[in-house]
Amino acid sequence: MTLVSQTTESGGQNTPLKFLKTYPMEIILAALVIFLIFVAPGFASTGNVLNVLRTVSMLGIIAFGMTAVIISGEIDLSVGAGAALAGCIVAWFADRFTDVFGDWGAVTVGFAAALLLGFMLGFLTGRFRQWFNVPTFITTLALFAALRGVANLITGGFPMSSFPIGFDFLGGGYLFGIPFPVYIFALTFAGMHFLMKYTSFGREVYAVGGNMEAARLSGIDVWRVKALTLGLTGALTAVSGTLIASQIGAGTGTTATGMELDVIAAVIIGGTSLFGGKGRIWGTLIGVLFLGCISNGMTLMNVSEYWQYVVRGGIILGAVLLNQVLERVR
Amino acid sequence: MSNPQPRSAALQGVQGRLDFRVVTKRYGPTVALSEFTHSFAPGEVHALMGKNGSGKSTLVKLLAGVTEPTSGIISVNGEDRHFTSPHDAFKAGIVTVHQELSLVPELSVGENIFLGRLPHRRRAGFSVVDWPGLHRRAGELLADMGLAIDSRQPVSALSVGQQQVVEIVKAMSFNPSILLLDEPTSALASREVKQLFALIERLRARGVTMIYITHRMSELFEIADTCTVIRDGHYVGSVAMKETTPPAIVGMMFGDAARATRPPRRQLDRATPVLEVRNLSRSGHFHDVSFDLYPGEILGIAGLLGAGRTELMRAVFGADRIDSGTVAFNGRDMTGASPRDMRKAGLGYTPENRKEVGLVQSLSTADNLCMASLGPISTKGLISRRREQPFIRRQIADLHIKCGDPELPVSSLSGGNQQKVVIGKWLNRQPSVMFFDEPSRGVDVQAKRQIFDIIWQQAADGLASLFVSTELEEVLEVADRILVMHHGAVVAEVDPTKTDLTELYGLCMEGAKQ
Repeated sequence: MTLVSQTTESGGQNTPLKFLKTYPMEIILAALVIFLIFVAPGFASTGNVLNVLRTVSMLGIIAFGMTAVIISGEIDLSVGAGAALAGCIVAWFADRFTDVFGDWGAVTVGFAAALLLGFMLGFLTGRFRQWFNVPTFITTLALFAALRGVANLITGGFPMSSFPIGFDFLGGGYLFGIPFPVYIFALTFAGMHFLMKYTSFGREVYAVGGNMEAARLSGIDVWRVKALTLGLTGALTAVSGTLIASQIGAGTGTTATGMELDVIAAVIIGGTSLFGGKGRIWGTLIGVLFLGCISNGMTLMNVSEYWQYVVRGGIILGAVLLNQVLERVR
Repeated sequence: MSNPQPRSAALQGVQGRLDFRVVTKRYGPTVALSEFTHSFAPGEVHALMGKNGSGKSTLVKLLAGVTEPTSGIISVNGEDRHFTSPHDAFKAGIVTVHQELSLVPELSVGENIFLGRLPHRRRAGFSVVDWPGLHRRAGELLADMGLAIDSRQPVSALSVGQQQVVEIVKAMSFNPSILLLDEPTSALASREVKQLFALIERLRARGVTMIYITHRMSELFEIADTCTVIRDGHYVGSVAMKETTPPAIVGMMFGDAARATRPPRRQLDRATPVLEVRNLSRSGHFHDVSFDLYPGEILGIAGLLGAGRTELMRAVFGADRIDSGTVAFNGRDMTGASPRDMRKAGLGYTPENRKEVGLVQSLSTADNLCMASLGPISTKGLISRRREQPFIRRQIADLHIKCGDPELPVSSLSGGNQQKVVIGKWLNRQPSVMFFDEPSRGVDVQAKRQIFDIIWQQAADGLASLFVSTELEEVLEVADRILVMHHGAVVAEVDPTKTDLTELYGLCMEGAKQ
């Protein structure tokens, strides 16, 4: 496979330096983990590790989709609100349609509806860009506000929690000792990694983001590619939103606040270029784990929540700076 | 007024003598300008002629202070100067009006003229922009040049011609003794050209020395006093316009253009066209264009920049919309098809600016080679490495692409090799028609030969091609038949074996035989 990512080397350097330049975020993540093991009380305990993985999963499922969107040269700011809406839709179906579809039937139909809506919103965002030349930044900023409103309208502003018994397993349960969302997370990673690396669609995403006009003149349906990546992210957002609703046991319009920021941050920390055309799903995995570890570590070390925000901001800027600097020395 | 501002009345007393003494400019191993020596007499309009890549723009850049000469001396008004920045050139009294307009459309005419040096006055202790003063001065400048333009209206409300004139007024507000005009008429309609020429006449009457760069032969005889020709970076000669003719100038520009070795022209079977274009129009770009293209034929399109060559190709390929007319491919109507449909039908297009739209620079050579063939190399959307390899290897071998590792970014390749990658990308589709838009631009001589060989080879195998190049010698050499475009219309069809550069150049510039 031939995706040129940050692993491209000019050659002729000694190996340790080359390693450092090729895997900067991997090394920093490893250093962070080692640091936290020694400094943050209980960081390495099994319970805590599983907890981090569970938290990271909700974020990561969306972040893998977002990686494709950003590589294609677009952005989606609505994922936090989209996740909240998806949870509310599932809860609403569980509340209203149990008579029609049965306990699990209602939840399933609700999930399907949320999935479809998520996909359609993303897909239409892409088409809006094509038809009316509205930047996805604007469309998804509008959705960012509107979807949270809709979520609260559905639930009437209160948490809706009439889920069937056992529904909490999806977000909060364990399978073979590992939190269930982690499996979905791993599956999404594998799927997106495969999609971006081994399919012609994945290659089209890189081409469209790298040079839209060249891609178009090569006979690639560039708008379809963009709309599909956005739709895919919308669908993954619905998946994550459902898992979150299951974990907290309710659909509520106020969950996943600020999640879009973390998702985009993870993608950027993972080395994906906001200018499009460059990035890897693997990098996003590192970015997601990095964010998860650092916020967990800070909580364990009793760092105030306000400081955590400051640190997160610093990390985003630092990661971009690091990538820019590495770009220059390569 | 405390702020020293250009005085409109002080255009007198300029000197404007300009001497080049053995000026050489190298870019690495390439010599862009070689031992150029010439004196431009003050107070005259000097046309500077030369085909693309002759060193004209290097000369302009040296005068504008954008680059420094490798060796040699430029002297202004008898004083040796060494420009290290555009500001130095400014101070020496040389102002350049570049080909691209540099006005801010949303701002007023007056503000554009004084952009970056707006006059100020004090109001209630604050220094604020002196708008009345600015417009008064702008108005004086415009009136001084004999122009009836309101300095308060936004530049966007002006025609392109008026904008060009405002650009010159802005340049003149710096009170230069030497004015460089880089293709000022390239975007103008003929009526606007008249207005511009009136302004140039006025400036000449005031003793401003002007270096005037153009491709349009007729303009030279209308406006210039002398014509200086450069070719391949060398000074060829300088003649007074009164004592020369267009063919003489073309002869100076091209020299004895040696026709390089091309394979003998074959007798083409022009029975069934593979591509039929009828009455194609796109407003503002080209109109009523019709032609047929036959299998194995290389149809050249000649014309000046802006004649509509690229626009025509893009429209036929479906990259831009068309307003009217039809396109048929192998007898099937393809009017309004997308690039995707055209690709499917067997048509390929290598765009003129490979860096911007031909290649995805961030991807590898291999990825770029396969970009138009993602369908054939994959099964059910899954890319097969085994099937991908021949697509990469074959083109690298056939086209002699020097790329080392095909997995490295295509941006690491030389211009010629990048161009071959663009061509290879399309040959992978085994097209029946190819559009080559400026395939030789920015590539070295050897790569150029190789690219032409590829085109001839493909033509011998039955590929029909459209070939566009700004270099008329190339069109004459490569093509089997030539269409000449002028201002968006096809004005002539010529047989390259029965014409010469002078005639072709004349057609391109004047749109009709002289």
